[in-house]
Parts: sequence; structure tokens; C-alpha cells
Amino acid sequence: MELDLFVRYGPDLLRGFGVTILCWIVGSVGGLLLGFAIACLYRWSIRPVRWIIDLYVELIRGTPFMIQLFILYYGGPYLGLVLTPVQAGILSFIVYGSPYFAEIFRSGFNAVPKGQIEAARCVGLSEARIMRRIILPQMLVPITAPLTNFIIILSKETAILSVVTVPELLYETQTMAAETFTYIEPFLVLSLFYWLMVIVTSWLGGRVEARVTRHLKRT
Amino acid sequence: MNTKTPSAATEALISVRNMSKSFKDFEALRDITLDVNRSEVVCLIGPSGSGKSTLLRCLNFLEAYDTGEVRLEGELIGWQEGTAQPRRRVAAGTLRRQRQHIGMVFQQFNLWPHLTALENVAEALIQVKGLGKKAAQDAAMAALTKVHLSDKAQNHPANLSGGQQQRVAIARAIAMEPRVMLFDEPTSALDPELVGEVLTVMKEMAAEGMTMVVVTHEMGFAAHVADRVAFLDKGRLVTLAPPADIFGREPDDPRVRSFLQTYRERNVV
Repeated sequence: MELDLFVRYGPDLLRGFGVTILCWIVGSVGGLLLGFAIACLYRWSIRPVRWIIDLYVELIRGTPFMIQLFILYYGGPYLGLVLTPVQAGILSFIVYGSPYFAEIFRSGFNAVPKGQIEAARCVGLSEARIMRRIILPQMLVPITAPLTNFIIILSKETAILSVVTVPELLYETQTMAAETFTYIEPFLVLSLFYWLMVIVTSWLGGRVEARVTRHLKRT
Repeated sequence: MNTKTPSAATEALISVRNMSKSFKDFEALRDITLDVNRSEVVCLIGPSGSGKSTLLRCLNFLEAYDTGEVRLEGELIGWQEGTAQPRRRVAAGTLRRQRQHIGMVFQQFNLWPHLTALENVAEALIQVKGLGKKAAQDAAMAALTKVHLSDKAQNHPANLSGGQQQRVAIARAIAMEPRVMLFDEPTSALDPELVGEVLTVMKEMAAEGMTMVVVTHEMGFAAHVADRVAFLDKGRLVTLAPPADIFGREPDDPRVRSFLQTYRERNVV
């Protein structure tokens, strides 16, 4: 192992890791919010709107992320949407994740027994209050695991952003490998970075799950 | 139909007129006319599938009735006034206001499991009645005291027995100070030994003058607490009479007779 290589390329790798984290977190949070908005819209809207949402969900889920990224980055300028690689990366991440998040939220809504919602309506709670006070806190229980799971998957999808020259972790690692003709060490380090993201996410998910299921435990 | 009309002196609190309700091809309720007077306890009995629960759920518009009227203190529930067909629903805010005056207790309790007993009761006091946190907690505690559960205020539903959960559900409803309470088979999901504590609370409410409409299979409760008993069969109101007329002597209507016969046979030890 040639450690001096890492002294030389360390800053680039760390910067790449930073870009990966940025795209991942902003993309995940954005996708989460958009997905929640879609799920709420679906819940409260009339049938034609639901059809449009269904179409959107099927379209995004039915195409590979890399294609969506290409269309946004290379096709965007034709529609006047000129984005930097990082902007395109984050935006495509938000779009790509949103239908998956929406589906998770939708299943979460359905997991709260209908009777509880009827009881809330009977005492006069508004739909927004019911969502915030009755549905949201409870649906965290069934959705935390799938959310964690999907966010972990997204963390590794960031590698695809390298194809539009987003200077993220894989991009920097490939640069290092090409310039130094070493492959094993850089990619081992790369794996270590992804692995770090995954275990931290999974640990956080576990903590959230323990927190949101507290009330279900009999004392 | 030997429906008893209420005496002119007492104003009906709930007035149901020619109300019908269908689910797709199934006619759940047909031409129901029923008045519930202030402080009156009306029990709805009948075989399963007879429409008792649907009738109850139409009273607070959990089910939208198709034709006819449901009025609470003269106000049409759920639909906008006027004869234009098809009728239009009242605004969401209006329906919420109307429902505030109609408390409901469900077979499955339907407590919110992530909140404590006190929080279950206080929730609507804060969000709907607009009470401050302290005032809401005091009012919630008073309601829990009424159902004899002040010592369980901090328990989550998972740590309460079925009977206790149902009493919390009753407290949640009465804390809103409704004009009328609807009970949808409140003891049917309970272990037999827990039925009594819920019925006791309901009797106390009746004694205090609460207007109540109760769907029940507890014939003892219907016989001793109800002012009038309504018997439903296949979506129709067959009989509406004081309990003595239904339980005290052999009922005239063959459907009522056969229902009570089955019931008695089932309960012979």
C-alpha cells in the first residue's frame, strides 16, 4: 500500500466525499419532502389529479436513474434549464427519490386504522391536524425501516452522478486511479466511505425506530 | 309501524326524517323517521346487518345519507339546506362544528395509541375548543374523573384494559360537552367481566340527563336504561317503543319476537 498517495490525493477524496454527502443529503431531504407532498396531494385530491400522480410515479420508477440524470443535464438546456453538474445531480436525485418516498408515505397513511381517523373527525379535528397529530406520529413506526432502507440505497446511487462530471467520491477516486495506476487501494477507500455512510444511516434509523415505538411498549 | 310520536311539549333534539342510505346495490336504511328528545336514551337493537350502526353513523355524517334529513336542534347535518338536487355537502369547517356537538364512542375504542389517556382527552380541547394547555388538562382530568379513571391519566392505551380504554374514549367525547352522545356497540369488543364498568358509566351519564343513542346487544341495558327502544330489521325501523312494550310482554311483530327469542336462547346458561 502506497500511503503517500493518500496524502497526495486525500484532500481531493475528502472533497469528493463532501460532494457525495451534499448531493445525498440535500437530494434525500428534497425527495422526502416532495414525496410527502405527492402523497398528501394524492390523499386529498380528486381522481384526475390522482391519475397524473400515478403517471408520474410510474414514469420515474420505470426508468433508470442514469437516464433521468442524462435527460436533465444534457436535455435541460434545450428547455432553457442550464444546470451545473452538482445542481443537476441534486435535482435529479430529488425527482428520482420522490415517487419511492411518496409510496412509503402512502403505505404509512394506510397503516393508521381508519377508526382512529373517524374518532378524530368526530371530535372536530381538521384534516391538517389529523395528519400532524394522529397520522404522522404513528406512521413513523411502519415507515422508518423502509425510509432508512431507501436512503441507504440512495447513498450508493450518488456514484452515478460521476457520469455527468459531478466531482463526487467516485469521480475523484477514478481520477486518482487513472493518474496513479493504482486501483485496489483507492477503491478500497471508496468502499470504506460508502460503508461509513450506510452504517451511520442504519444506526440513526435504529435510534429513530426505538424512539417512535416507545409508546407501544407495555410497562 | 307503531312509531310513537314525541309529545308536542318536548322539542326533539335529533330529528330524522325519511332518511335512506344505500351502499352500491345494498339498501342499508330505508325511510327512517325517528325523533330523539332532550335527555332521552334511545337504544337501537336488531340483528346484525339490520342497519343500526349505519343509522348511528348517519347521525354525525360519518356516512353520508342519501335522501331525507337528519337535524340536530333544527340544523340539517352534513348537507346544505335547500331542495336543490343533487344536494351539496356543507363546508368542511361547518361539518366540524356540527360534529363537535355530537360525541361518538366506537366498538373498537379508537383511542390514539401514541398519546396518553389525558392527551387523548385534551387533544380536541386544545385544537378544537381552543383551550390553553393547562385549562385543557384540567378539563380532561375532570372528564377522566367522571369515568373513574383519574388515576390512569398518564397511561398510554396499551397499558389500559379494554374497559378502561373504552371509558377514556367516553371521556374524550364528553369533554367536548356534546349535546348528544352516540354509542356504537360500546361493549361488544370487551371481555365479559369488563362490560359492567362501561355500562355503569353510561348509566351515570343517562342519570345526569345526557341525551344518548346507543346501538347495543346488551338487552339488559336497553331494558333498564333506555327510554325507548328502536328495533331495526333489514334497514327498516320496525318498532319504536318503551322497553316495557318490547321486553315486558310478547312483542306483536314476529321479527322482534324471533330476534328476542334467539337472544334469550343464546343467553341461557
